[in-house]
Amino acid sequence: MIDFAVEFSGVTKRYKHFTLDCIDLKLPTGCILGLVGANGAGKSTTLRILMGLVHQDAGTVEVLGHTMPDQQALAKLEIGFLSEDMRLYGAPTLEWHMNFMRSIYPHWDGAYANSLLGRFDLKAKQRIKGMSHGQRVKAALLLALARRPQLLVLDEPTTGLDPIARREVLGELMAVLADEERTVLFSSHNTLDVEQISDQITFIDRGRIVESADKEAFLDRWRRLRLVLPPNTRLPGLPGVVAIGGSSRLPVVTTNRFEPAVVSACTERGVAVQSVDVMTLEEIFIASVESRREGGAL
Amino acid sequence: MNIAMVKRLIWKDWYLNRAAILFSLIGGMVTLALVASSHGSNIVMILGLIVIVTILIGMGSMVMASAVTERKQQTLPFVMSLPISYVEYTTAKIVGSLLIFLVLWTVMLVDILATILLAPGFPHGLIPFVVIMSVEILMSTCLVTAVAVTTESQGWTVGVAQVGALSLNWIGWWIVRFPDIGGAMRSATVRWSGTATALLSTELAAIALLLAITFFIQARKKDFI
Repeated sequence: MIDFAVEFSGVTKRYKHFTLDCIDLKLPTGCILGLVGANGAGKSTTLRILMGLVHQDAGTVEVLGHTMPDQQALAKLEIGFLSEDMRLYGAPTLEWHMNFMRSIYPHWDGAYANSLLGRFDLKAKQRIKGMSHGQRVKAALLLALARRPQLLVLDEPTTGLDPIARREVLGELMAVLADEERTVLFSSHNTLDVEQISDQITFIDRGRIVESADKEAFLDRWRRLRLVLPPNTRLPGLPGVVAIGGSSRLPVVTTNRFEPAVVSACTERGVAVQSVDVMTLEEIFIASVESRREGGAL
Repeated sequence: MNIAMVKRLIWKDWYLNRAAILFSLIGGMVTLALVASSHGSNIVMILGLIVIVTILIGMGSMVMASAVTERKQQTLPFVMSLPISYVEYTTAKIVGSLLIFLVLWTVMLVDILATILLAPGFPHGLIPFVVIMSVEILMSTCLVTAVAVTTESQGWTVGVAQVGALSLNWIGWWIVRFPDIGGAMRSATVRWSGTATALLSTELAAIALLLAITFFIQARKKDFI
């Protein structure tokens, strides 16, 4: 088994008004990586390069041991891909799509496809154009999963879904992913989705990777400290300070290198620590992106 | 080239266009049957040919524009997520669309020729003109294919299809002005001239060139979605 399902090295793609700049990204086999970024950050371009649908101007891409885009046909035999702008054919039924996929993929699992039909509450005989958007996303997910791919690439699959459908799709996806070990690359601008599913997280902004680490490390390292400074006391130097807000006497410090020793360091210097707040992934993402945009080092 | 995958994509296009293929064939056959039973009536023949040409151009434009339709309806990402390269996709799209059109085109051409040869009242001298104009329709369809596949733009494709349809009248009028084609149209026997051979060869060469240019451009594309 290969160590990394996906390896991007110095990947660059230039458009007139956007550049994906020197992307280095490694996805270990068996991991679920959430690629988080705002709209237009470069998530879809990254995943399209991964799929061979867009050719990089510079750098190398290896997917499941295949060089992209030259060996894309071989690589795509082992990839399940789902993107927000992907539609199935409207007139045929889901059953026709399932038969079409079965004729292409040697690992197509008919029994698993049928079990997913029940789990996703889909009807094989129904035409795609008669389905709701949520059902269409589930149908596309079924077609991606039942081919038993080594790598699942999901590009904003929940975009455009209403809250109920989004929860259903995510719930089903999480249940399916819990069944067995898969390598998944999941992109979204919705941090809640990524937080639920991923075990590794990468932030991307304006075409560059901002930060990449496993989810627990992200959540453990980032804290917001509410401090009380005595009069005529300066804020002590703390590790990994990303942002400082609040007032000069009651500063709110965001750090990405928190450890319990930070609190004792403050106390030793006469600074009272009012609270140490755990940050959500969304708060971490925003702080991280804002810091980078302001030229701060992470 | 993954031939098996190309075949599956061609089969897919046939399946998706099956109703249009069937109705076009039935419409064309019924029209030709009416022409054949008209005992050489000029009005029925002209009306019949207009209907058949309309069916051929309409069907050709619809099938050939399917590359544009796939992008517009956002089914292209689904197709391109399958284990194929873009050259294989292009091959499947062009060969599949041409095969669909060629089935209709061949059936219509054979039926028209059979009608002229077997039904009473039609001069056999029409045959060179009919063959040249039929290949002209095929060439026009290939042009629409080339534009649709390479630009994936609805505007360009519709524009070229309209120009192709309009130029058909002009080309027909231009060909009839050749004395050894137009002058022989009312002849009881087929008179195949050097001019007819030259026109036919030019059309076939243009078809080959259009297809070659399409593959050349597609092979150099870097962004497919």
